[in-house]
Amino acid sequence: MAVTHGKGAVPRHDQVGAPVRTPHAVPVTVNVTDDFPGGARGFFARWRSLLTGLGITGRRALGPVSTLRYPHEKYTLSPRWRGALRLRGVLGLDDIPIIRDAPPEYNAGIDELHRADRLPPCVGNCPANVDARGQGYYLGEGKPAEAYELVRERNILPGVLGRICHHPCETACRRNYYDEPVAIRPLHRHAYEEYAKVASERLTPFERTRGQRIAIIGSGPSGLTAAYDLMKLGYSVSVYEKEKKPGGALYSGVPSYRLPREVLHDEIDNLVTLGMELKLGVEVGKDVPIDYLIGEYDAVLIAVGLQESRIIPVPGHTAEGVMGALPFLRDANWKGDAGVSGKRLLVIGGGNVAVDVARCALRTGAAEVRLACLEGDDEMPCHPWEIEEALDEGVIAMCSLGPEEVLVDEDGKVRGMRMKECLSVFDAAGRFSPQFGEETTDVELDVIVFSVGQGPVLADVVAGSDLTLTERGLLPVDGTLFTTHHPGVFACGEIVTGPGSAIASIATGHEAATSVHRYLEGRDLAEGRVARPVPVYEKYQVADVKGVEANRRRVVMPMAKPEERATDFRQVELGLTHLEALNEAARCLRCQSEVCVGCTFCARTCPDYAIEVERTDDPGERRVTHYDLDLSKCCFCGLCAEQCPTDALTHTGQYELSFFHRDFTIFDRHEMVRDGGGTRATGRDGVHEDSPGVTQ
Amino acid sequence: MSGLAWGALYGLAAGLVIAIAALIGVWGERKVAGRIQMRIGPQELGPFGLLQTLADTLKLVLKEDITPAAADVRIFRIAPLIVFAPIAMSFVIIPYASGFAPLDTSVGILFFMAVPAISVIGVLLAGWSSRNTYATIGGLRAAAQMISYELPRTLSILPFVLLAGSMRPLDIMDEWRWWWIPLTFIAFIVYFISSIAEVNRGPFDLPEAESELVAGYFADYSGIRWAIFMMAEYGGMVAAALFGAVFWFGGYLHLPGALGVIMLIAVATLLAVAMIWVKWTFPRMRPDQLMGTAWKVLTPMALLQLVIVGVVIPWL
Repeated sequence: MAVTHGKGAVPRHDQVGAPVRTPHAVPVTVNVTDDFPGGARGFFARWRSLLTGLGITGRRALGPVSTLRYPHEKYTLSPRWRGALRLRGVLGLDDIPIIRDAPPEYNAGIDELHRADRLPPCVGNCPANVDARGQGYYLGEGKPAEAYELVRERNILPGVLGRICHHPCETACRRNYYDEPVAIRPLHRHAYEEYAKVASERLTPFERTRGQRIAIIGSGPSGLTAAYDLMKLGYSVSVYEKEKKPGGALYSGVPSYRLPREVLHDEIDNLVTLGMELKLGVEVGKDVPIDYLIGEYDAVLIAVGLQESRIIPVPGHTAEGVMGALPFLRDANWKGDAGVSGKRLLVIGGGNVAVDVARCALRTGAAEVRLACLEGDDEMPCHPWEIEEALDEGVIAMCSLGPEEVLVDEDGKVRGMRMKECLSVFDAAGRFSPQFGEETTDVELDVIVFSVGQGPVLADVVAGSDLTLTERGLLPVDGTLFTTHHPGVFACGEIVTGPGSAIASIATGHEAATSVHRYLEGRDLAEGRVARPVPVYEKYQVADVKGVEANRRRVVMPMAKPEERATDFRQVELGLTHLEALNEAARCLRCQSEVCVGCTFCARTCPDYAIEVERTDDPGERRVTHYDLDLSKCCFCGLCAEQCPTDALTHTGQYELSFFHRDFTIFDRHEMVRDGGGTRATGRDGVHEDSPGVTQ
Repeated sequence: MSGLAWGALYGLAAGLVIAIAALIGVWGERKVAGRIQMRIGPQELGPFGLLQTLADTLKLVLKEDITPAAADVRIFRIAPLIVFAPIAMSFVIIPYASGFAPLDTSVGILFFMAVPAISVIGVLLAGWSSRNTYATIGGLRAAAQMISYELPRTLSILPFVLLAGSMRPLDIMDEWRWWWIPLTFIAFIVYFISSIAEVNRGPFDLPEAESELVAGYFADYSGIRWAIFMMAEYGGMVAAALFGAVFWFGGYLHLPGALGVIMLIAVATLLAVAMIWVKWTFPRMRPDQLMGTAWKVLTPMALLQLVIVGVVIPWL
């Protein structure tokens, strides 16, 4: 019978009745693969293999027992018993890495850490990459002066920023995940206060090893940062400031209830001690033309910041009683009186500056302070703690309202403000595009302060030079190298980045200083420059702190009472005590340091209570004394190492699920009789005799 | 009557010896295995963890004695004793000291080969009466394995019968000379390997392969009955070690009295440690490798040894 194998045809075996089964459908002989040859050679090879195996286990049994011993441990446990987990380092035995490099290489170092996943989130999220972990370490070890000097490397005014910074570090702090973030900013302040006691002994002027001179226009945060970096490199630096007091926006913009002027002056004094030449009351463009500076100095850095407030051109905005935020703050800060005593005041805007204006208005005697913004009360652009403090002091917030018209009386003075309802601020694509409703509200008041944006005033500064401004009054600046189109003239600070935070300004100062240094050395500015890595950190949910032990909670910054503080310019935040600061520094988890700090979160995470951690908690002497894993309880879920904030806890080759490839779970004979030294999957077997922490 | 009393006394003594040997053996095994695996082993209860096994025994004795509902109850209950009793009996023919064996008989070697083999029946019965597929497979595997390895094991002892011209262990001891050690070395290897297979220890623990058969023929046993199986295993190991020490290493080495007994125990301990060493070194064999080893490797080796001894004898 012909069998066809065409399309749809099935091979037919049956002719009549039941189908015939193919014989030997199941292989009878198992195909056994064996590495040994046949014959006498194979016979001896087999026996040699057996004896080799016996030799390996015999040597292992007779050899020394290698055990891991942690301080104060009762029993010695062999590494294999503990082998599923391993600590890379232990606090007290190993040092916390300190991020400290010369400024030009700092970004490269940060980038390297970021690539190796060794960048602590606080450092990564800080625009200037201040080593907050190192600060916590030094403070915890009782070395506040070292902590201050470490922070000053990147954040040249730790005492100032310790009061006013918007602390992105705390936002990214990994303790957010467990309970509350470490109080990094108050610790800056504490480090400054401790350092101030010994500053005179520790301050030695930088040596001037290079002949070049540099002029910096503006003594704001970015200008001072560049000055510090360049002095450190051995240049002589002159800073020109048009006001009688240095500090720039820190002086004229930041109210003194947040930043006492003594602190600012003290820190700038320290910079002067280090060798900075400060020329106060010299306005570039008026007293000295910029061309003179370009000719006199080897490089010029423009760091004048933003000085002009935008005012929305609504009908009546030219009336008497309408002003910008910066002139208002300048008056309030310089004179202590903004001319609003007893008056009703409205601040337009919802940013941090608007809140500052509102709080300053209260302190200069305004009868009633309102704050109106387009956004709803849950999406105001200012920091939530700022508006909270302002509301405590008696500021009235009016949300979701946009300015429609300034109501002017017959004398040309402000009588009130007509506000219209704002339905949405941003469009679907997230662009600023406010939609207004029909409903309007009239508010009776005497003064209106617009705090809706700032712009630079550069026309005077660059007058007479070949630097040209754009139509909108901006100076074209390279965003990464901070060069202008005139060689040897650089710019940094908010004139480059737009309105932002002090710490972001400081970051630009570091970069500009690097460019200046390379320019003066005649090197390529762009060569090998690494952009600051901008890691994206997850936004933490507010952790549930109910039931969290008191010693795990964040220290509470003592504040002056709202009814007392709203009347004058004394500092609102009162500062930490020495003990509070030590405890707070000890809360720092030393993220990504690969050193176990005994935070106990692995033990808390463990669903089987298999991990036991003990540590001593004396201030300045925090040590891990005991770390143990009970493998009889371990369920190999891996959560402990997954959540380890320091990455000190790792799975070894003996961890059940550590095989990353299915093939690796199949062993051949040679694998099984191989001498100790681990599995093929990881190439290492937990702890070796030569690894740290192993005693024999 | 007095013969029965003596028998009961010997039985009690053998049971006691096995119990103590198992107690120390389990501790020793855990210690040796620990060292081989870079661990320390028991260390918390008593000095060097010596009391750990005692605590385990107490636990086993107190545990519930479960009989599966579907089991053949009477056979299920008696099977551990059928496994244990022959192994206890094998202790009586061993010449412990110069001129002393509890049972001094002219068929001692035959006795040692024949009587412990009865425990195969106990193993089969245990597996069968559990009415459990795993247990049955385990029991059948054990029977096949134990009977297969009887052959090389018996052949490996024959050279001594040839050399001494007697099956009475005390006679063989009197005849024993040091050069028997190199002469019978091949037989020793055969005896050592087949003894391990006889007591179902790794790498020949197929009947109780945990990964495939749960626990093999004693999968359904618990508490003290399970412990009796374990004691039988350790008893078999100790008996094999004692027997090997007596014949291949001269036992008490013609030393008088207690000195000879200590010598015998020391050598037997070394052999037992070697068995533990082997167990924790090699992975479990496949069934085809197991049978192949018995029939294709060990039996020819034992026959070769017989030939060698046979060739040597005329020169003696």
